[in-house]
Amino acid sequence: MIATGIPKLDDYLHGGVPIGETLVYYAHPGVEGAVFGMQSLFHALSTGISGVYVASSTEPRRIREQLGEFGWDVDAYGDRFAIIDAFSGLIGADSHERYVVADPGDVRSLTQCIHNAMEDLREPGVLVFESLSTIMDLCGESETLDAIEEWNQYAMLYDHVMIYNFTAWPYSDDTLLSIKENICDSTVSVGGIVGDVIFGQYFGVLKANWTDVVRKYILFKVLKPGGVRAYIPKILVTGPFDAGKSTFVHALSTRAVSVDRFGTTIALDHGHVDHKGFAADIFGTPGQERFDPIIKLLSGEAMGVFLVLDSTRSEDFARGKQMLEITRSFGLPVVIVANKQDCDGALTPENIRDKLDMPENILIMPAVATTGEGVFEAFETLIDMVTGV
Amino acid sequence: MTYKLGISRLDELIGDIKSGTNIMMIGPPISRKDDITNIIAHQGLLDANAVVIVSTREPGNNVLEWFERYDSDVPVDRIGIVDCVTRTLGFGASDTDNIKMASSPVDLTGIGVKISQFLEHFWMEMQLRETRLCINSLSTILMYSNLQTVFRFLHVFTGRMKAANALGIYVIEEGMHDEKTIVTLKQLFDGMIEIRGSEEGYQIRAVGFTPKPTPWFDYEVDGTNIVLRG
Repeated sequence: MIATGIPKLDDYLHGGVPIGETLVYYAHPGVEGAVFGMQSLFHALSTGISGVYVASSTEPRRIREQLGEFGWDVDAYGDRFAIIDAFSGLIGADSHERYVVADPGDVRSLTQCIHNAMEDLREPGVLVFESLSTIMDLCGESETLDAIEEWNQYAMLYDHVMIYNFTAWPYSDDTLLSIKENICDSTVSVGGIVGDVIFGQYFGVLKANWTDVVRKYILFKVLKPGGVRAYIPKILVTGPFDAGKSTFVHALSTRAVSVDRFGTTIALDHGHVDHKGFAADIFGTPGQERFDPIIKLLSGEAMGVFLVLDSTRSEDFARGKQMLEITRSFGLPVVIVANKQDCDGALTPENIRDKLDMPENILIMPAVATTGEGVFEAFETLIDMVTGV
Repeated sequence: MTYKLGISRLDELIGDIKSGTNIMMIGPPISRKDDITNIIAHQGLLDANAVVIVSTREPGNNVLEWFERYDSDVPVDRIGIVDCVTRTLGFGASDTDNIKMASSPVDLTGIGVKISQFLEHFWMEMQLRETRLCINSLSTILMYSNLQTVFRFLHVFTGRMKAANALGIYVIEEGMHDEKTIVTLKQLFDGMIEIRGSEEGYQIRAVGFTPKPTPWFDYEVDGTNIVLRG
């Protein structure tokens, strides 16, 4: 298996792409698809696997810069990394790459380079195509489809993994169907939520010959540096007054802001989390009853909820349960954070479950928000629940 | 929701342009199509529109400077430029708030992503509901990619302009392409701004907005104004 390095995708693919098999990132126009192939390439390099990038619409120097913008220094991997330059010939520029396609408009010329690179690669290796659609535009649809079958056979023969970035411009239906369903062992759709504009981006596995497909779509954002991050647009943090919600939000967040007065939240806390391939925006509610109308406003469209409780104040637990009702969060993934576990008299999560009369399937996790202890464990648990793994 | 070109006589004759309209501007070299494109974009800024310009002929900074030179109060936060030139000249410029760098005019996928990012930014973060997209020029893109490829790209983005109730302006150099190319591309557009040479200089007219084309007008470009005569 060669992992893709895309958060959650490797879980859905049961570890990644098996040696000798192929994957296509099938991206809709206008969506950031190319970064998926780049991230998979860099992840392979960083785990000791050789990688080749087939550049068809960008100068090799610029590709190195683009990778650098994501924080991926591919040159550090020496001769384990190479570029097949199928671009410079197109604009009549010189190339100093190891593999140069003399005539990018001739698919046989490209095939020869790919064959040479596969022979030279240390096994196993990964070949990532910057843009299959550009090759198709230059070389023709049927010619490229025939060539892909040949390249995929080479991959099987030489124990490499092929990864293609493909932008689904309005080609013929046969071509699109072939790319989407037939020509590769697996297909990952990279799409956009299209309204008047593209509001958000998602990916999901459409097909994987080696495993059952998990029909789940993950929203994502692209960060520089960082690359693809699974994105949870809204996680709610609620709980009674003085339970430590703001401290919890700040402990989790790479950046956060609180609207408070004399240390008490009167409007909201907002934080952005960037942790282990996941990005999320978290919104903390005030705890006092007079702010309940604000809580209702804040809680719309949340994808998961933290209920933060002060483990030493069992008299506030009923209020906590009431706040879950106010946020209309029943049915959403919920993690109860048993905060202030370092304080005298703190109840254990199991004691709290008894007092709250919560069923076993609601997770209650211990935490000390002031030190950060347990906060990321709670975050990872909620993310797993939201993403369904 | 309607748009005006910012070319007074033509605007009077064709009336308001309905949202979702895509317009081809075609004319000979050195007829100041760059300026006319920018003037149409500038009218958008005056009308509180967002403006996205795909520049394949001039570095993004030059395009931005045009607006700053002629309008000291220009709202730059409503301008987005997809620069397809700077990196092909070998400069390693980074994206800014106003200028996003595409790898090259070949990289239609990348250009499409940058356009979408600006549209999302203006729609979602700035709550702007009227947008103008100006691609200057399709001719450069056609130098690197074949007609079918460019047609596919435009098919997607003219559709997006309709969906977003935007106004699209697409510039083509007359004389650089065969008749088949022009006829093929025309299918995607709702109207045309035509420019031709004359004894006096150049003339302009609008086609497809009214039952008959407007008359030809001699014109002069003066900063953000275009003065029509005749």
